[in-house]
Formats: sequence, C-alpha cells, structure tokens
Amino acid sequence: MTIAPTAVAEGLFEVVDGFAHLIGSRCSGCGTCYFPQALSCRHPACHNKFIQPVRLPRTGTLISFTVQRYRPPSLFRMDDWQPYAIGLIALGDGLEVMGMLDGVQLDSIQIGIEVTLLAAPLFREGDGREVLTYKFAPREAA
Amino acid sequence: MSRPVFVLGAGAHPWGKWPDKPQLQLAIEALEAALQDAALGWRDVQGLVAASSRFEGGMGWGLHANEVVQAIAEQGMACVNVGGACAAGAIATHTAYSMIASGELDVVAVLGAERMPKGFIPRPPGSAEDISDHDYLRWVAIGATNPAYWAIEATRRSHAYGTTDETYAQAAVMMRRNAAGNSLARFRELTSVDQVLASPMVSDPLRLLEICPVSDGAAALILCSEEFANRSSKTPVRVAGCAVATGQFGDPARRIPSSSSNVLPGVSHTSEVALAVQRAMKMAGVRHQDIDCLEMADNTAWHLLEWPEIFGFFAPGECDEMLLAGKLGLDGELPLNPSGGFLSFGEATTAQAVLQICELTWQLRGEASGHQVPDAKIGMSAVLGLGANGGSVVLSSQ
Repeated sequence: MTIAPTAVAEGLFEVVDGFAHLIGSRCSGCGTCYFPQALSCRHPACHNKFIQPVRLPRTGTLISFTVQRYRPPSLFRMDDWQPYAIGLIALGDGLEVMGMLDGVQLDSIQIGIEVTLLAAPLFREGDGREVLTYKFAPREAA
Repeated sequence: MSRPVFVLGAGAHPWGKWPDKPQLQLAIEALEAALQDAALGWRDVQGLVAASSRFEGGMGWGLHANEVVQAIAEQGMACVNVGGACAAGAIATHTAYSMIASGELDVVAVLGAERMPKGFIPRPPGSAEDISDHDYLRWVAIGATNPAYWAIEATRRSHAYGTTDETYAQAAVMMRRNAAGNSLARFRELTSVDQVLASPMVSDPLRLLEICPVSDGAAALILCSEEFANRSSKTPVRVAGCAVATGQFGDPARRIPSSSSNVLPGVSHTSEVALAVQRAMKMAGVRHQDIDCLEMADNTAWHLLEWPEIFGFFAPGECDEMLLAGKLGLDGELPLNPSGGFLSFGEATTAQAVLQICELTWQLRGEASGHQVPDAKIGMSAVLGLGANGGSVVLSSQ
C-alpha cells in the first residue's frame, strides 16, 4: 500500500489537481500578499488589517540565486544529498520568495528566466511516506 | 535636555576560541581593561548595561550584567540587560548613553561578551516546528543557511553592477591587511586574491574566506559625563551620535530567517541599519565627507561593497572601483573597518558592536598602533542584528 506524500510543513503549500500552489495571506485592507501565512498585515499605511489565506501566483521571475555547496544542519532532510540551488523569485506585486530550484544546471542558472512552482520530494520517511517541499523550475521544464 | 556623553575607557579580550575561559571571565577581563583604560575603579561605576546573549551566561535569562556585578562588584549599581542579537552591543551602548545624557548617572559601563557554540548555531529551545516559525521553515523547506542569504544578495549585486569574484576576494584581502596590525583580531595572516579564490565555495559566489566565522570575544566601554571626562588625561572622545532602529516595510533585503520579502520602491535595503546610520549622523550633525573611518558589520565580502553604498557614501555599484583603487584602505578616502572587521575577528555576536566602538575610540585617540587611520577625528559604527535591529554610533574627538 502506498502512503500519500505530505508537505514538509502543513499550510505551506498545497497540490490541487496536480498543480502546486504556495499558500500565503492576503490583506483585504491594502491588498498586500504575504508568504508564508501571516498573523497580521504589517504594512504601516494599512489601518484595516484583515488577512485571509490565499493561493499565490504559480509562476514568477528568477531574480537571484545561490548554490548551497555544503550540507545544512540535520533539521534539513534530503535523501541523496548533493549541492542544490536556492532561487529568489519575484511573484509580482513586490512579493519575492525564496525556494529551491529544480531542473537547472548548477553552473548555468540564468537570472531573468520564468519559473513555475512544483511540489517535489525531499526525502522518504521510514514508513515509506514521501515528504515534499515546494520548488521552482524553469517554465519549459515544469 | 540632554548633556554630552564621552567614552572614557575601552577594553577588549582578544578574539579567538577560548575553551578554558567561561563567558563570565571574558566579560570581567574586558571590563577590567576598560576600567584601567579609563583610570577608574569598580567603585566609580554607577551602572552596567550588558548585551544579552542566548549562548552562555546570564542565568538563562540574559542577565549578563547582573552576573558580572554579583561576581565582582556587589555594590547596588543599576544593571540593565538588553537584547538585540548581533546588534545588542550597539543597543546597550545607546541605553548607557541615554542614562548619562539624561543626567541620571555619570559613569556607566557597557559590555558584550560571547562564547559561540561550535558548528551551526542551534535553534532556541521551545521553538515552534510549523509555518509560524520562519527559522524552522527556512531549514526544512529550503535548506537555506545564513551564507545562502548573503550569497543571494551577492549574486544580485554581480548581476546588477558586474561585481566580479576577484572584487569580492579583494575585499576579504583588505580586511586581513588591516587586521595584520591589530593584536585583538583572530585572523591576522595576510591573504592574496588567489588564496581567497582558492578557498572552498560555500554559497555561490561567496567562498569560505569571504564569510565570517564565529569566535569568542568580549569588549567593554566606560561612558561618562563631561565632568568625569574632564578629569581624564586621554584625548576626549565624545559620543556625537547614537541611534537604534528597526526595519521598514518594503525593504528588499532577504532577511534571515524569512522566506520572502515584500518589496516596495524607494525603501532602503537593510533599512534598519540605514535608518540608524541616518539618525546617528543627523544627531552628530556630520556629513559623509566628515567621517574619517567606518566600522561596519562585514558578515561577508558582499557587505563591504554594498553597505557603504546603502549608507550613502557612494553611488550604487561604485564601491567596487573605490575598493580596487585603494580608497577604502587605512589611508584612503573612507577607511573601512580599520580593525580588520568581522572577517578577521570572526563574529562573537553580542560583543561585536561594542568592539566596533572600542576600535573607533582607539582610532580617534591615535592609539590604534599597527592599524591607525592617519589623523582620524570622526568615526562611525554600523551593525545589524536578528529581528531587524540596527545600531549606529558616531564618535568625535573634535
């Protein structure tokens, strides 16, 4: 029997009809979107702070990146560890999100490319359950 | 009304790894050095403000000032312990400054003393393991180490201004060159661009020798009123500006440990530090060209290039050519981190900002032998701490 995969943290993202969505918060007072979900709007000019969960845009632009060359502490779990890229993605309206990159060559990542969100396995628990995180992949590869 | 405040004494324990000395001993040695420098005794000290550490000492409550007085000066003095993570030393200085400027006290000591844990800094006990804890998320979902955050900034800078790997390496080389003459620094061997470039890549484009490690160290200041300063035979060093700030909404910095930023046009990068600097400069009534040396937090080589631009010393992207033309060296236009900076000391978190102010004091007195900025009259510090804490101090010998 296959155990359904789970997200690395509940409420971070969801997969609906095969498409991954980051879950953020949107302030109905000023329209600002936050990731991850926030307790309150923190825009100093907003005096009508009321937030609701929102699915954030699935595509964005890669505006910077790095390659993590050494293994982080054990809180970060990844099967078959090897260096990986972390990108900074502009999702629009000023929201810039960090996330691992998928489907890129580590020595030829291009700033400015369009990327799409996906949910990808990080590691497998002892009971066989896959644990997923969110990643961004070049649009053509996603 | 507020009255003038002076730095009467500065003292520090050399930076390094000191497994045989508890944090409290480092603290006491730094304070004793500062008192000796001030030609005062414990009996003269009316208050002690300590930067609270979460790593060692403080009875688990950050009571680092109380621990010191219970060990060495049980005389009823006012003890204040302030949090501010890596900026705590600057905030402690600001608190001590205010206690004297207000007229409440005449002599107040400031302390930052730290022994850093080995390896990765552990998460605080009791931290949540869900999406409400940004530090948890950056580890489990992204595997983003601290250098990864700075590296993302460095990649962005390279993309925007064409900063090369060699330029980042040159910034690290300059820090070692400054540290070579500073007996308090931990890493004092000269390096070359080739050596820095040959060090392991940590988070592209930043290499091992371009990222500050952690160290143990302690630094202390004795601040005083004008009446006490006038009794001293040392060159009087006045706290001309002293400010703390927190971040502004819209700041584009990729702030550890968050996973996102909300970016608005017109908001400064690392706004907590930019604001503190602005406020300290305004309070001191100084312009950029008046400042003879800048001691700022260089967690990486990227900081050395970006921060002077953020503070308004240079136009965006201009710092590269300033560095390469030698204008940031000890005898340059803006001597940057004459101490050797975090890259040569290793960061002893809460002690670091106090050390910056010690360094400026010695520079302004002309006592920074081996790494003296010629004829330094006005110096400024700038530091960043977790929680979007910024602090800046302007000292003047004029």
